[in-house]
Amino acid sequence: MDVAFLWQALLTLLPGVPLTLLLASLSVLLGFLIAAPVAAMRLWGPRWLRVLGSGYVFAFRSTPLLVQIFLIYYGLGQLESVRHSFLWPVLREPFWCAIIALSLNTGAYGSEILRGGFLSVPHGQIEAARAAGMAGWTTFRRVTFPLAIRQALPGYGNELVLMVKSTSLASIITLLEITGLAARLISETYRVIEVFVVAGLIYLALNFVLTTCVALMDRRLTAHLRPVNTPSMPGDPA
Amino acid sequence: MTDIAVRTQGLRKSFGSHEVLKGIDIEARKGEVIAVLGSSGSGKSTMLRCINMLETPSAGEIQVGDTVLRVVPDRHKGTRPADPRLTREVRARVGMVFQSFNLWSHRTILENVMEAPIHVQRRPVAEVQGEAMALLEKVGIAEKCHAYPMQLSGGQQQRAAIARALAQRPEVMLFDEPTSALDPELVGEVLRVMRALADEGRTMLVVTHEMGFARDVSNRVVFLHQGVIDCQGTPEELFGGRGSERFTQFVNA
Amino acid sequence: MQYPDFLALFGFGPQGWGAALLRGAGVTVLLALCGYALGTMLGGLAAWAKLSGRPVARAIASTYTTVLRGIPDLLVIYLFYFGGSQALTWLMGQLGRQGFVDLPGFVAGALAIGIVSGAQHTEVYRGAFRAVSTGEIEAGRAVGMSRTTLARRIVLPLVLRHALPGMGNVWQLTLKESALVSVTGVVELLRTAQIGSGSTGRPFDFFLAAALLYLGIASVSGVVFHRAEARTQRGQRR
Repeated sequence: MDVAFLWQALLTLLPGVPLTLLLASLSVLLGFLIAAPVAAMRLWGPRWLRVLGSGYVFAFRSTPLLVQIFLIYYGLGQLESVRHSFLWPVLREPFWCAIIALSLNTGAYGSEILRGGFLSVPHGQIEAARAAGMAGWTTFRRVTFPLAIRQALPGYGNELVLMVKSTSLASIITLLEITGLAARLISETYRVIEVFVVAGLIYLALNFVLTTCVALMDRRLTAHLRPVNTPSMPGDPA
Repeated sequence: MTDIAVRTQGLRKSFGSHEVLKGIDIEARKGEVIAVLGSSGSGKSTMLRCINMLETPSAGEIQVGDTVLRVVPDRHKGTRPADPRLTREVRARVGMVFQSFNLWSHRTILENVMEAPIHVQRRPVAEVQGEAMALLEKVGIAEKCHAYPMQLSGGQQQRAAIARALAQRPEVMLFDEPTSALDPELVGEVLRVMRALADEGRTMLVVTHEMGFARDVSNRVVFLHQGVIDCQGTPEELFGGRGSERFTQFVNA
Repeated sequence: MQYPDFLALFGFGPQGWGAALLRGAGVTVLLALCGYALGTMLGGLAAWAKLSGRPVARAIASTYTTVLRGIPDLLVIYLFYFGGSQALTWLMGQLGRQGFVDLPGFVAGALAIGIVSGAQHTEVYRGAFRAVSTGEIEAGRAVGMSRTTLARRIVLPLVLRHALPGMGNVWQLTLKESALVSVTGVVELLRTAQIGSGSTGRPFDFFLAAALLYLGIASVSGVVFHRAEARTQRGQRR
């Protein structure tokens, strides 16, 4: 067990962590901004919007992420209109192409999670709000949305973990996040197993931290679902 | 050939540190219908499930017909059946009807009834099929033979479960609260079938809350309380006021 | 600028890439099938280990699933591709044959996909087993079924019914993972598209065509699984 090399490998790969995290978090954020409207479209929109939303989700969930990345990074460059547009400086950058592809991808999955969250809100609680005189928007804001978010949290937390794994594909279009650095290190030193172990451990550590954070947030937000132990006061009848 | 259909001797059962059965000696002769009564926690279901070794007794022995089943100590589970093959053989001779029917949901009613005779008892398919259809007729659901359990009402499912047990040509039939999970209006159809079986002379041990059945159909009533037999006797004796204090309280509750 | 006729580009004539793309799709499906088959076996083994209650077996299976679900698939593919050749060379060296032995990309890819999908299968089988009603198993014991008969006639069919939707999901995932194997040079669908786009300078067309083919395969798979699920759900209250 060549500890010296493992340590070296660790030092070589750790600089990739910020990029990995940046790719993952930015994509999830943008993806959420896509997922929310798409979910809304599919739940409450007119027929053509529903079809559009469903088509988008279907397309991005049924094709490999790598194909989507290639389409955006290599494919868009083929189109003259894109090359001459003001967006070209952005669209030729591997970083932004990766962000766009990842966001669109997680947007599709995220919209399914959100849709599921909204569909699972017990209808009775919405009815109770109406019966209490709440207007539609207030009901949505104070009852439906908070409940839906809590329901969607575990699924979205899982999506975040999957996103961290998906950022590894950015290495294929030259980005030097963890996997990119690992691939380079392997091709330089041929120490496949050691590099794999170190890279794997870094990812596992990241996922552990993320999963713990999500679990903590979930616990705080779902306190209302757990039974409460009220200690009895002295003087209470037995 | 013994006249005894089922017998337990010194039956004890503990779950962890909690002793549920504290020494049960019970005996049923061929053709007897025994109603087992008791409040929850008295151990009546556990006792029944020990008879066909669905629960392994902590101590004691079980006799079904001429066969005796014993337990031996086990490092992990406390006790285990001394002879697993013999246990399975006995199970094939004992018909069990569960509170929640437990029909196999991936098979039709007819397939449910034919399953054990074909795959456990290895009887020829044609013979089994004929008998199965006759049994379904007998319990009154022949027309549902190709339906799936979930498509039947609770009462129909339980009657199918009874037919399934009968198909094993059992020496003894065990009923574990057969009507407790049924809507009130469906209880009657199941009790009717059970009554017909009793009239035929089948040996039946029935754990039940249906006092009417215990009073009118059974030959003997056994009252369990906290893991022991509190009192037993004919229905006339116990329901006539000659049972224990506790039994009278239980009945009048 | 000359825009070659779409039909000529993807048709089956001498200039056409249609045949190559379909061949690539065939390799993709074959690759995914091999990986999936391996995954069902590994998943069954690991699920059995987790459910068996034996602490050592459980620990090994848990480590397997946690690790494989936490690290990027791409890393696993690199491990098998680069590392596999090394291991094979060493093995062959031990057996007397000198020189570098290359582990075929297809084998490395199938192994990698298999190991990853095995972890996914484990969770599917475990959940499916838990979902089987204990009453039905008990009834099987009560009629005197031996452990093998019980497993064969009662447990397995019921587990399969609960597992099928999850297995369908894993298949779709496996299909998409197969695209990653293109990094090893295996000429599956994505690699074919890359070759085509490099040769003709039309990445958008090729990656779009690849995406459509993946969509097609995914859709057909979806229908097949749907039919299978419907069959196992006969007579169930939906």
